[in-house]
Amino acid sequence: MTAVLIVALLTGAILFGIGVYGALSQTNLVMIMMGVELMLAGAMVNLVAFWRFLHPESYSGQMFVLVVMTVMAVEMAVGFGVAIARFRAIGSVEMEEAEDLKG
Amino acid sequence: MGAQAFFLAVFGLAAIGFGVAVFRTSSMVRSALALLFSQTAVGCMFLVMQTEFLGVLQIMMMATEMSIMAIFMVMFMMDPGGLGGMDMTHQKRFSIGAGVVAAGAAIAVALLADWGPVTVQAPAAAMQTRELGHELLGRSMLIFETAGVTILTAMIAATAVAIPVQRLADNGDKEVSE
Amino acid sequence: MNAVVLPVLPPLLAALALLVLRRGGAVLALAGVTSSLAGSLWLLARVADGQAATLLLPGLPEMPLRLVAGPLSAVLAVAVATVGTFVLIYSVGYMKRESGLVRFYAMMSLFLAAMQALVLAGDWVLLLAAWELIGLCSYLLIGFWFQRPEAANAAGRAFLYTRSADLGLYVAVFLLIRSTGTSEIAASLEAGGSASTAAGLLLLLAAMGKSAQVPLQDWLMRAMAGPTPVSALLHSATLVAAGAILLIRSFPLLTPEALLAVGVVGGVTTVAAGVIALAESDLKRLLAASTASQYGLMLIAVGAGVPLAALLHLLAHAAIKSSLFLAAGDFQHARGGTGFDRLEGVGRARPWAFAGFALAALALAGIPPLSGFFSKDAVIASALSAHGVAWLGPLVLAGTLLTGTYMARALRLLWQGSGETGAVAGSAWMGVGIWGLVVPAAALGLAFGPIEAILDLPAREAEGTGVVLLGLIAAVAGLALGWLVSAPRLLGPVYPWAQRGFAVGGGLTAWVGRPAMAVARGCERLEDRLYAAVLGVGRGGLIIARGGERLEQGLYSAVLGFGPINLAVAHLVRVGDERRIDGLIFALVSGVRALGARARTLQSGLIHHSLAISAVATAVALVILFLASLSF
Repeated sequence: MTAVLIVALLTGAILFGIGVYGALSQTNLVMIMMGVELMLAGAMVNLVAFWRFLHPESYSGQMFVLVVMTVMAVEMAVGFGVAIARFRAIGSVEMEEAEDLKG
Repeated sequence: MGAQAFFLAVFGLAAIGFGVAVFRTSSMVRSALALLFSQTAVGCMFLVMQTEFLGVLQIMMMATEMSIMAIFMVMFMMDPGGLGGMDMTHQKRFSIGAGVVAAGAAIAVALLADWGPVTVQAPAAAMQTRELGHELLGRSMLIFETAGVTILTAMIAATAVAIPVQRLADNGDKEVSE
Repeated sequence: MNAVVLPVLPPLLAALALLVLRRGGAVLALAGVTSSLAGSLWLLARVADGQAATLLLPGLPEMPLRLVAGPLSAVLAVAVATVGTFVLIYSVGYMKRESGLVRFYAMMSLFLAAMQALVLAGDWVLLLAAWELIGLCSYLLIGFWFQRPEAANAAGRAFLYTRSADLGLYVAVFLLIRSTGTSEIAASLEAGGSASTAAGLLLLLAAMGKSAQVPLQDWLMRAMAGPTPVSALLHSATLVAAGAILLIRSFPLLTPEALLAVGVVGGVTTVAAGVIALAESDLKRLLAASTASQYGLMLIAVGAGVPLAALLHLLAHAAIKSSLFLAAGDFQHARGGTGFDRLEGVGRARPWAFAGFALAALALAGIPPLSGFFSKDAVIASALSAHGVAWLGPLVLAGTLLTGTYMARALRLLWQGSGETGAVAGSAWMGVGIWGLVVPAAALGLAFGPIEAILDLPAREAEGTGVVLLGLIAAVAGLALGWLVSAPRLLGPVYPWAQRGFAVGGGLTAWVGRPAMAVARGCERLEDRLYAAVLGVGRGGLIIARGGERLEQGLYSAVLGFGPINLAVAHLVRVGDERRIDGLIFALVSGVRALGARARTLQSGLIHHSLAISAVATAVALVILFLASLSF
């Protein structure tokens, strides 16, 4: 029985790892956001797995997943708004050129 | 359980595969679509784990999001088609290392921790939805409300950020920047 | 107003007026003296019947000042006023060419007032005051030409001599007042016993000073350096008479011992002064020595116990000697000096003055019917009838002889020689003055009878013819000797000594003056040494003080020096501290800055760097949390 759990967890872990790689290595803002999406997806998988296999009686797990989904959506919306503004200002959304906050 | 584990593994592999594909391809649209499929696979996983509501929610939302993302990709990417063949990454080694470390740590935890007994039977879907509703409007009302306000705020913020800068007369009068 | 003040007041007022107004000298003085003469005549008339007029003035407690006019005082007052009047008339002419006349007339008036006060004094205090005053006036008048050294010298010497002798008067008065308890002269003369002897001798001392008796006669001769009117008034008739007047008035007091002393002094003076007069080479000095000699005769009379004779001679001598002096002044103006070498033959050039001189000279010698004859006879008679006739008699006769001798000598020296002389200013005035006194000099003998009647002195016996004859022989012999024989031949070996005034071993100058000066110098040296010693002490103290001061300064600078050292040390400490602290702080600052600079490198502004850092930090935090959870 624990194998199911392990599988789910493994999946979540690997998705998370891929997401970290993507977030850190991409130059494009949208690509970075995609990495973040993946990370959140990995987290969600873990959460659902934990709910289903360890505590199905407590719906806080599902609540948490809802919240993560909300966060994903919100992040996407604001991030795109920022991307538009940045594109209008500079002409690209490449993060390599975003040295504006250099100290 | 076996079946569940099997399907879980399949969809899991699918998700991982598509996830990798997101970053391997240089075409933006393909990245977006790959991500779409990855997220859909995750939604399917949810379905496999008998959380129908969440699974459906995930699929619906991700489909919409990724579509919009594809459009944005085309709007803002330098090379949306990925035909230029440029390597759009930086600090690659560090990122790979970080990813490996993160995944490795999570795997280590997953494998080494004692999770205890696994519940075999999951509640019915209707029951889940009902309970989730109770949960949502009962104990987690505050979270619900906060989420709602946060979404509203995000909508307004995104709109405000996205509105272009208005310029008045051309003879150099005051500029109104938002 | 009480008549007794009449002789005194006018000259006093004249003197004060002259001092205040500083003008109208002769007029005011003459007015004063003539009023005094009138007043004294009036006074004489008032007291002629024996009554005495008295005036009391406030004086010392229980010793009021008295002016008492008895017949004796009144007669003397008249004599003083008369002589004063004619001398002042004379001075108008004599002083015609002089300056400082206001001073002269003021002092003469003051002198007259003081002399009248002395004559009329009824108590010792007033007499003493008047005595001193006439001494002062004498000093001032002798030294009238004070610019001349011999005049200033003479004035000082006169003052010293008479002042020293006045001590006798002071002690005598003190004794009398103590023993009788009153200062009234008449009452104090009642004192008896040893007090009266002592007082009498002391009064004699005072009289010796004022009347120029031996050994104090020298001042009178030197006093001739003053103007001739002064010599005529003061030094022949009035001031020098004060001594004799004193003795005559205090006759009741004098004991036989005192009288003996008086007689001795008078006798010695008569002869000695007479010989000096004979040896003199200056007319005025001759007359001065003669004055001393005549007063010696008066003292002999008093010593013999007949003060009346002394008084008569005093009156006669006053007129005679003053007229002689006035004439001498006339000669002085004619020839410009009084030495006999200058005055040779001046008698021929100035006949009227010489006639007066000759008349007065004969009167002095004692030729009848001139006044001197009567008075001289009275003196000789008194001497020959006295106790000490053995020695008083020869002295009197010697004095008479000498009188004639030196007067004849003077006449001879003045007559013999050429009679050239220059014009004399003011000779009319001078002539009036001279003859105004020559007349009484000649005629006073006639008044002696009435005078004797008025006076309340013990009466005298009339002289016998033997006395008259003796006197006459002595006078004529003297005159002949003087006229025919020259003085050096007459005196022989005594001549040089007589010329020096019989100075013994240098005279009073050597006996008194030099020792006194030596003592004074010794005292001065002593005082110098004391002074130096005191200064030395003071300086020693100062040196100690300075040493202490230097020590204190050393300490002070040491203390002060300590301060800066402390400050320097503190400064070093502070600097070092500051540098260290500052160094620390700055090191801290630079360290923080460096750290910050390094930290800045993290702030590349690139998103992916931030993300990377966040990932690493999260991993670290998770590890820590994990490890922490393991320990619990």
